Amino acid sequence: MVGNDIVDLNLAKIQSNWQRKGFLEKLFTDAEQNEIVNSENPFLQVWLFWSMKEAAYKCYTQEWQRRFFGPKKFVCETITKSEGVVEFDHQKYSVNYQISDNYVHSIAFKKESKEMVSELFLIDKNDCKTKITNQNLLAYFGFKTELYKNEFGIPYLYQNNQKLPVSISTSHHGNYGGFAFTLKNE
Amino acid sequence: MRSENFNIKMTKEEIINKLTTIVKPYVQNEEGFKNISEDTDFIKDLEINSANLVDIILDVEDEFKIEIDNDSMEKMLSVKATVEVIQDKMNA
Repeated sequence: MVGNDIVDLNLAKIQSNWQRKGFLEKLFTDAEQNEIVNSENPFLQVWLFWSMKEAAYKCYTQEWQRRFFGPKKFVCETITKSEGVVEFDHQKYSVNYQISDNYVHSIAFKKESKEMVSELFLIDKNDCKTKITNQNLLAYFGFKTELYKNEFGIPYLYQNNQKLPVSISTSHHGNYGGFAFTLKNE
Repeated sequence: MRSENFNIKMTKEEIINKLTTIVKPYVQNEEGFKNISEDTDFIKDLEINSANLVDIILDVEDEFKIEIDNDSMEKMLSVKATVEVIQDKMNA
């Protein structure tokens, strides 16, 4: 299982006000809030934790087939400048993350797999961003591969009406798109 | 003279009207917003960014003077579920 999430930091700046009263309390644990307010760059810490939670949520929902909004219950911890863990409901997810001036990209997984593929790309057109993101993912697979989301918003790939044995995750925000997949359902 | 409605309970329609005003600034699919109904899903139909769901929750708390706990918050992905949470908290 793999989940990924992108935050376009320039868009996050105008789309959300993390300093709004109640914002941090609703989304983050006490320890996370503490880390955010004491961070050198609280804004960046907010969106790093957020993308870690979202990536882990996307991993979790694939396994448990549920849909809900419970970010505070996904407990984040960063280990290095590019790795962290997220725990939720007795499940533990490893996260690889990448931070630039413009974006944060988190990829969550249960077991590290050599066959895990992920990409991040710039979407500068005003075209349908979902479509571009999906096309970039589908380019890895054969002709006539299609992506459908089920009732829980979980994406699956199909070839000739057959579900492929892969775990996939797509994400786009602002000028960035990305995806991750593992070839086996790990 | 038409008698005023002094019911303390807000009708479902009134709640939906207020909720529609609250979600409007976060909507990214205007077509979905035009057709807003009880069945509307914030993410699937209105393409609201998931990080903005917390803004909707905070706005709902302010507008309806209620407090939304984490368990209730988990359900607030659609108009219907949100109305139910609001009714539940207002009657509490």
